[in-house]
Amino acid sequence: MLLTIKDLSVEFSSMQQTVKALNHVSFSIDQGEIVGIVGESGSGKSVTALTILGLLDNNATIKNGEILYKGRNVLQLHKKEQQSLRGKQIGMIFQEPMTALHPTMRIGDQLAKVIHRHREIAYKEAYRQAVLSLAEVKINEPELVARKYPFELSGGMRQRVVIALAMSAPPDLLIADEPTTALDVTIQHEILKLMKELAEKRGTSIMLITHDLGVVAEVCQRVVVMYAGEVVETGTTDEVLAHPVHPYTRALIGALPDLASPDQPLHAIPGESPDLRNLPSGCVFAPRCDRALPLCREDHPVLEPVPGSRDASTGTHQVACWVR
Amino acid sequence: MEALLQLSGVSKQYGKGSQLFHAVSDAAFSIYPGETFGLIGESGSGKSTLGKMVTGLEYPTSGSLLYQGSPLWNGKKFNRRKPGEMQIVFQDPQSSLDPRMKVQDIILEPLWALPADERRQKGSTERLHALIARVGLKPEHLPRYPHEFSGGQRQRIAIARALITDPTFVILDEPTSALDVSVQAHVLNLLKELKRERGLTYLFISHNMAVIRYMCDRMAVMQKGRIVETGTVEDIFKHPQEAYTKTLLSSLPSLHKENASLHA
Repeated sequence: MLLTIKDLSVEFSSMQQTVKALNHVSFSIDQGEIVGIVGESGSGKSVTALTILGLLDNNATIKNGEILYKGRNVLQLHKKEQQSLRGKQIGMIFQEPMTALHPTMRIGDQLAKVIHRHREIAYKEAYRQAVLSLAEVKINEPELVARKYPFELSGGMRQRVVIALAMSAPPDLLIADEPTTALDVTIQHEILKLMKELAEKRGTSIMLITHDLGVVAEVCQRVVVMYAGEVVETGTTDEVLAHPVHPYTRALIGALPDLASPDQPLHAIPGESPDLRNLPSGCVFAPRCDRALPLCREDHPVLEPVPGSRDASTGTHQVACWVR
Repeated sequence: MEALLQLSGVSKQYGKGSQLFHAVSDAAFSIYPGETFGLIGESGSGKSTLGKMVTGLEYPTSGSLLYQGSPLWNGKKFNRRKPGEMQIVFQDPQSSLDPRMKVQDIILEPLWALPADERRQKGSTERLHALIARVGLKPEHLPRYPHEFSGGQRQRIAIARALITDPTFVILDEPTSALDVSVQAHVLNLLKELKRERGLTYLFISHNMAVIRYMCDRMAVMQKGRIVETGTVEDIFKHPQEAYTKTLLSSLPSLHKENASLHA
């Protein structure tokens, strides 16, 4: 395994209150694999990414667990070592491509600086490679674009530049946090295709954070469904989307407008996302669950393999739910 | 049936000389009472500008807009026959609610455009409470400020604000694109129910094909300021004519790969 997260818990504290952002999160990403992390706002998907990269704010504490990257626990690395991990070994793509780029630096220079640093080559050579990397993310006339500023590019072009930046080291793991949410559907399609191609060509693993199950279906081999800072279901994309077990996963799929049957009312999840300062003692989804048993409100379920699953032999399809 | 809203040859240009930009060119369509008309296009296609021209937030450079047969724009000013008749719900409930006003004042604000006796009648406490209960808010929410609410709740406040005047026609400008999917499902279901209960007519602006399919009866596809295709939602989804519409449909991520033929 390239990346293994074991039993990770993260808390944020402010004004005598504790926000439990992650609770005993475990999952792993293999070499060359594209794994989707799905959840709504507040589910902890971005906090997971920031923890891996060591970018958590000062008010965050890691209560428990470890993150093994190539067998080493990144949580115990020194600041310097963590810094060499970031960018060089683990690349990151943020949601908003405008804020991820330096507004007053030309595209070519931004890329060349990163390449110059990570590949330890002369700046002139780095610039030449920067132009090549622009061509690689399918930007037409890369020499011309290299001389432009971010504001001169469209959202889709900017996101291509950000991908080129993140892939420049080149990293073994790419973390993409909602890389297409700010983009139009047609552009989203192209960007996803590009990321998939690059990953296949170089054997890069991708951790794709998204709230869109459609995006997961399109590019991910495996999916991790998060709710209120916990992993509630995980498995191969095909299996989880075709036979979801956790009521939350089912509800999430039911909430999507379906092109095939537009006349059915959307399945809305009753209630609100739980308050992370005051989580229920039993299953975190129980207050909103339509199939909750008395047991669900008392005992906290843990991830266990789904017995009747098609993937039962490998045990990859796992769910944290009493009502299976 | 007479069209509720009829647009013909509507254009909007910004700037002049070499900076001239055609945001909307020669747009024409009609919306009939009781239907939901979808307007789809990517960012910069002019769909929001069109929505703004219908509400009077922008004026058209040329063309005519008829509302119930009478012109909305006479070349100099907007003629609103009756204030509160046409309302709008914006995309981002974060910025469309005044952060320094209480929820009650936000919801009641559109009534200030109405004559005093009508204002008193429509702004009665019973009516306000019934309305907020209908959109899924509670009376104890009324004295609070917008920042105390989640995105979905804020959009409910914006919907209540639009409905307080008993409008006939509501423009929904990407009402759910800033929301999580499960919250989006709530809001879309609510909008559909409200339409049925109150006999509303919607102009639904969105970039999401699946949402348009779920909400609308007829639709228009916009690209670079032009309407490239108009028709019933069913026809356009089954037999898209324009290459651009086909691209939009095929780019839509779907959970069901086996249904891929549906948007090939």
